[in-house]
Amino acid sequence: MDKKKLLVGILLFGSLWGFIEVILGSLIADAGYPAGGLMTGFFAIPILILSRMIFKQPGMQLGMGLIAGTLRIFNPFVGCHICSAIAIMAEGALFEIIFYTISSDLREIKNITMQSSIGIISAYILFVGGYIITQILTPIFAGAGFYLENLLVFMPKILEAGILPALIATVTVPVIFSVKKLDLSIKDKIYYPAGIGISIFCWVTVISSWIIFAS
Amino acid sequence: MGKDKLIPIIAMILLLIGISASIYVHAIQNTTLINSDTIKINGKEYAIDQIFNQTEKKTITTDEGEITGVSLEDLMNNVGIKCTSCSKYTFKAKDGYQQTVDYNILKTGILTNESRVIFPGTAHALWVQDVIEIEVR
Repeated sequence: MDKKKLLVGILLFGSLWGFIEVILGSLIADAGYPAGGLMTGFFAIPILILSRMIFKQPGMQLGMGLIAGTLRIFNPFVGCHICSAIAIMAEGALFEIIFYTISSDLREIKNITMQSSIGIISAYILFVGGYIITQILTPIFAGAGFYLENLLVFMPKILEAGILPALIATVTVPVIFSVKKLDLSIKDKIYYPAGIGISIFCWVTVISSWIIFAS
Repeated sequence: MGKDKLIPIIAMILLLIGISASIYVHAIQNTTLINSDTIKINGKEYAIDQIFNQTEKKTITTDEGEITGVSLEDLMNNVGIKCTSCSKYTFKAKDGYQQTVDYNILKTGILTNESRVIFPGTAHALWVQDVIEIEVR
């Protein structure tokens, strides 16, 4: 794999993921819906799996999580920015661990039962794991310190919240697998300017909105 | 056992964990009677009206704008906490969520009349909503 192509891929998919989390995630949260679960099931898991299928490079999704999480910090809307950023970065890291364990080659995953099962496992572990890591790290970053009893007492709620993204991923993951059957090859002449251009658009839109809302 | 069988089994186990947790959460909610007009502070029940009548109001500036509530520092003094600066304060919400802060964070915060605690300049994860109890240790 050409390193330049991979880096642009990480930048593009990470920026798109962060952009969707900031804009759509904030709107869903403001409307009173469970934004975290919906975003993980409908967007994070499909973006992570699609990028893994296209580039087949372990480590890529960790980079995407770091980029998306960093972009999420510049959220122009109110809410817990650091919590969401930590959760997104954790999701990227957890995805790497899951797919290192399950399979490095997604071509192995052929039938729909396996695809749906992969969806459930990855969405549930990413969401619950990200939630737990956020509950540990956010109070530490906020200077309040981590108290295990605060996490333990809330664990049933966290485990319950993982059902929604897991159920959504039973549908979205097989859809992504079927999309991959289409020819997604793009010529380098278009890939680089389009990839960098879309990434710049995502960052400029989010940061300029952040500056406008903050002033 | 091959991956073809193992992966669907793991997926089923994770769903069962989630469903069991959901049943537990709803069973607990149905058996616990919560009075949302009062807040338990250091083991004693206080009506929210009583708290607001007897404690000094404070307006703070946050990323959500200006918000007014009662000063948590004054509230702790009013309810008779002996050493406010050497205690830790755990804010417990109706849904089981809870966060613990020390005096340095507590003194910046307020309790709103919607039973929400807000600490300006900190992560919103510490801003507990629907507070039903403040445990002092």
